[in-house]
Amino acid sequence: MTEQQIEKVKPSTAAKITAILDDTIKKWFFSRFKDYSLTQLYGVMPIHERKNILISAPTGSGKTLTAFLSIINYLVVLAKKQELQDKVYAIYISPLRALNNDIYVNLQKPLEEIKQLAKQENINMQDIRVAIRTSDTLSSDKAKMLKKPPHILITTPESLAIVLSSKKFIEHLKAVEFVIVDEIHALASNKRGVHLSLSLERLEEISTITPVRIGLSATIAPLEEVAKFLVGYSYDEKTKTYNLRNCLIADVNFAKPIDIAVLVASNFFEDAKLQTHKLYCLIDELIQKHKTTLIFTNTRSGTERVIAHLKEMFPKRYEALNVIGAHHSSLSRKHRFNIEQKLREGKLKVVVSSTSLELGIDIGYIDLVLLLGSPKSVSRAMQRTGRAGHKLHAVAKGRFIVLDRDDLVECTIMAKKINEKEIDKIQIPKNCLDVLCQHVYGEAINKVWHVDDFYRLVKRSYCYHDLKKEQLLNVIAYLSGQYFGLEQRGIYAKIWYDENTQEFGKRSKLARMMYMTNVGVIPEESYVNVIVALPNERKNEKVGVIDEAFLERLKKGDVFVLGGHKYMFLYARGMNAYVNASVKQPPTIPSWFSEQLPLSYDLALAIQKFRRLVEQRMKKPKQEVVEFIKQYCYCSDNVANAIYDYFYEQYKFAEIPHDKKLVIEFYKSNDGKKYWIFHTLYGRRVNDALSRALAFLVARINRRDVEICINDNGFYIASYDKLQVDKAFEMLVKNYSKLHIVLEEAIEKTETFKRRFRHNAVRSLLILRSYKGKTKSVGKQQMQAEMLYRTVKSISYNFPVIVETKREVLHDVMDVEHAKEVLSNIANNNIKIKKIQTPLPSPFAFNIVVAGYLDLLKIEDRIEFLRRMHEKILEEIKKK
Amino acid sequence: MDLSKTKIFEGIYIIGKALWLEKVKILVIADLHIGYEEYLNELGIAIPRQQFKLMHEELKNLLNLLKPKLIVINGDLKHEFGEISKQEWNETLAILDLCLKHAKVVLVKGNHDTILEPIARKKNVKIVDYYVVDSIVITHGHKILNEFFDKQIKTIVIAHEHPAISLREGIKVEKYKCWLIGRWHNKKLIVMPSFMYIEGSDITKEMLLSPFLTKVNLDNFEIYIVADKVYKFGKLKMLRKKGIV
Repeated sequence: MTEQQIEKVKPSTAAKITAILDDTIKKWFFSRFKDYSLTQLYGVMPIHERKNILISAPTGSGKTLTAFLSIINYLVVLAKKQELQDKVYAIYISPLRALNNDIYVNLQKPLEEIKQLAKQENINMQDIRVAIRTSDTLSSDKAKMLKKPPHILITTPESLAIVLSSKKFIEHLKAVEFVIVDEIHALASNKRGVHLSLSLERLEEISTITPVRIGLSATIAPLEEVAKFLVGYSYDEKTKTYNLRNCLIADVNFAKPIDIAVLVASNFFEDAKLQTHKLYCLIDELIQKHKTTLIFTNTRSGTERVIAHLKEMFPKRYEALNVIGAHHSSLSRKHRFNIEQKLREGKLKVVVSSTSLELGIDIGYIDLVLLLGSPKSVSRAMQRTGRAGHKLHAVAKGRFIVLDRDDLVECTIMAKKINEKEIDKIQIPKNCLDVLCQHVYGEAINKVWHVDDFYRLVKRSYCYHDLKKEQLLNVIAYLSGQYFGLEQRGIYAKIWYDENTQEFGKRSKLARMMYMTNVGVIPEESYVNVIVALPNERKNEKVGVIDEAFLERLKKGDVFVLGGHKYMFLYARGMNAYVNASVKQPPTIPSWFSEQLPLSYDLALAIQKFRRLVEQRMKKPKQEVVEFIKQYCYCSDNVANAIYDYFYEQYKFAEIPHDKKLVIEFYKSNDGKKYWIFHTLYGRRVNDALSRALAFLVARINRRDVEICINDNGFYIASYDKLQVDKAFEMLVKNYSKLHIVLEEAIEKTETFKRRFRHNAVRSLLILRSYKGKTKSVGKQQMQAEMLYRTVKSISYNFPVIVETKREVLHDVMDVEHAKEVLSNIANNNIKIKKIQTPLPSPFAFNIVVAGYLDLLKIEDRIEFLRRMHEKILEEIKKK
Repeated sequence: MDLSKTKIFEGIYIIGKALWLEKVKILVIADLHIGYEEYLNELGIAIPRQQFKLMHEELKNLLNLLKPKLIVINGDLKHEFGEISKQEWNETLAILDLCLKHAKVVLVKGNHDTILEPIARKKNVKIVDYYVVDSIVITHGHKILNEFFDKQIKTIVIAHEHPAISLREGIKVEKYKCWLIGRWHNKKLIVMPSFMYIEGSDITKEMLLSPFLTKVNLDNFEIYIVADKVYKFGKLKMLRKKGIV
């Protein structure tokens, strides 16, 4: 009974598969394909045998048909026997609505063809119905679905959660036999996946048949954990124990050959203008050499910039319509659909995307993928590269174009890892209370629950298996208004809870409507429009958007860069920032990096190791070292030389930090500002945790706010005052096991915490995004969230929304576990510390100093700050 | 809150968020926006209600300390958004009762006060568009009337703006409620902060609301910040020069 298995499956034979297929299906299949794909050999039989399975295979390997072939076969057999019932047999879930549309078409077509074949053979067959249900679905279509349920339902995680609380449609879901989760790699590491994991258990709860779970994934690691995430646990009534459900893993990765290389456009020392020129000449050359090129830029603004530059520099080639297109999430769905359509028709020469084309939407034939700037993780790099040569056996050709020397090293090691097929591991969030709130509410709508029964349901999800009962009770206490005092309870309670019977249920008739309009976990980010106020001839021109948190940093007269142009901030009005577009001064405030992806920990370690291997060889002649780099990284002469030069400068000028040696660099600028630079190349998530904890201790010792600046390669702490950074760091290392306690206090006043609190307040239904037919702007939500935070924290620190925000910041935004690992390695002397002083930031420190993500650790009370500011101007006032 | 007096003109004092006309013993407060939390609740935000308790307490302390003859509530006693709930009605009455226990009350009409009439009638309190005492006119500030240009009027007290100011040092920013004292058409202009427990809008970057302020240069206005007590900060242009706003 307790034997649990996550087992790798071996491919079956074509004959075996053919033997199970219905005659018409067989005919159809071989009229379309020569043979089964490798993925199909792995996946079709287990699904036919109703075994849970996770199929990991590259894009274009026939994953979807693998998942559906057995199911369609089963449905056709039933349809021929006239035994198809009016119920949903299979649910297909994908994170993307665009993908849903693709799948719909890709199912309708074969079903139609099969029907025609059957007709030719004079076989009478029932219709097999397929339908999409997402937030785009018209209510008339939903009504139709209710009367005649689709046999295959295509949906998103959010819409699935909605139908699970529907009054009537839920009846059609009580005997679902198959559940397919597509693009599971895009779900497992975030709250959408956590949300789905509970929906799947809710589905299981109402099912008379346990549905087979099928997960489809691109490159991802570790597969075992993702498999556990897919299947969860079953509860044994007799033994009162939880057992991991069985799951097979079909690892069909790496069947697709990848051709990857790093390209350097210039030597990084020329002036910015010339570098840009060379960069775009290289991009243009590559585009011209290929049929269709897909460029990834990481950020939306980057996407726009690339297009603008290409058009400006090569108007003849790119100004023409239908040559170049942008695809990113801020563009309208119509625009994106249009671009996808043109790609499929082979009409576009080049498309530039931020991240949105990573997932498996069908985009036709691409023969080159350009990665402009590091994708920050091996799996993402593979995912992107895999968009080239969409057909399985075509070589996927990808080229990194590096923008600076850190980028050069990072991408070179990434290319090495891709060649060696070593993927970085994802982390699956656990025990998210905000998501739990939504499902408690959703189930309270369905029926009256005993807490223990619900607790069992929740514990079956892999993401909540370790949830403590108190945590659930806390969530129920919050939702039933118990935090708010008796007289006000009626206003805030969304459910009722009876302590005697330990039961809970819904309170109001509006509950279902409120649930449906507020379900989901994707936070809305708020952007402020940047609008020209001066000069008059450009008045009211919208030049772009900035992050709302960035606006908070701006003061009147600040000059910032947006889309390659400078603007002076004048004033804000609602969600608009008004600027002067004609400015000559240099920028006064660094750009905002919240859009940037963090470097994966595994990749960071790989780079650190490489640094050590190079340092060990630094005393040898240049040629020998370059040769080593070439062999180690499978890279070109050009790249190896550039890396050598970079490392040599650091070696000569300062000290090369690596996985066994942490370099702490102290430097004082001309104006007397002191910098303590920590060369902690562990990725931004770890550095976020380390830097904030350290800054907090420093600030507490010195009673002053401390400026910190973070990037993937390290961080600095800076101040005009003399700070006791060494002492604070020693304290931190000594007490590494208590890092999370320091951080819980340290993060509370950060921008990140404020923003995440808003997201969580919305997800926990403390702020209803949509209420009584009205939808709130994000700006409003943020303002209200700040007021809300001040109020609820005065009530209790155990308030679930606060608890969840802390968890999210520590474990999802930051990486407190790996940060602890780093500190413990220092404490145990596995990592040695080397302190150096430099007259200028060392080459490796350069990017940390000029391009990091600036933040402030507040410790000074606002009244203390006010008094200090008052003292500053007191003299001036007295003069008069 | 420290309730000591800060003199701004002869006989005119700032005490926290309230204005005190000492000779005539008049206390002026503004923009209480009773019911603001209910309004948020109506929007679907489960914010617990604390404002009333805090404001009631602070007002009681002021009244006990100053023993005014007259209390002028300079607009937006109540945050208005359609139907009035029993609780808001009770809270509004409780604030009025507290005031009436100590002194007479005049309500200056604000832009949010369109349904104040029944409450005022019930308590027999006057509602006016502005209130004149000596050479001072007290008005909410959402519109300019011809009477304000009268030569006899030397000082105008307005509210409505909910002024606040952000102080900066490097990348640190903190926002505080503030008073603005300056000139308008050769008259003294006093802009009051709101009495409610929300900071208000940052005068250094948000567009101003009151027609009294849209055409003046704020650079020459004196700033008084209200936090645990009142801090005189001098002219805005000086703060700009010093780089702290």
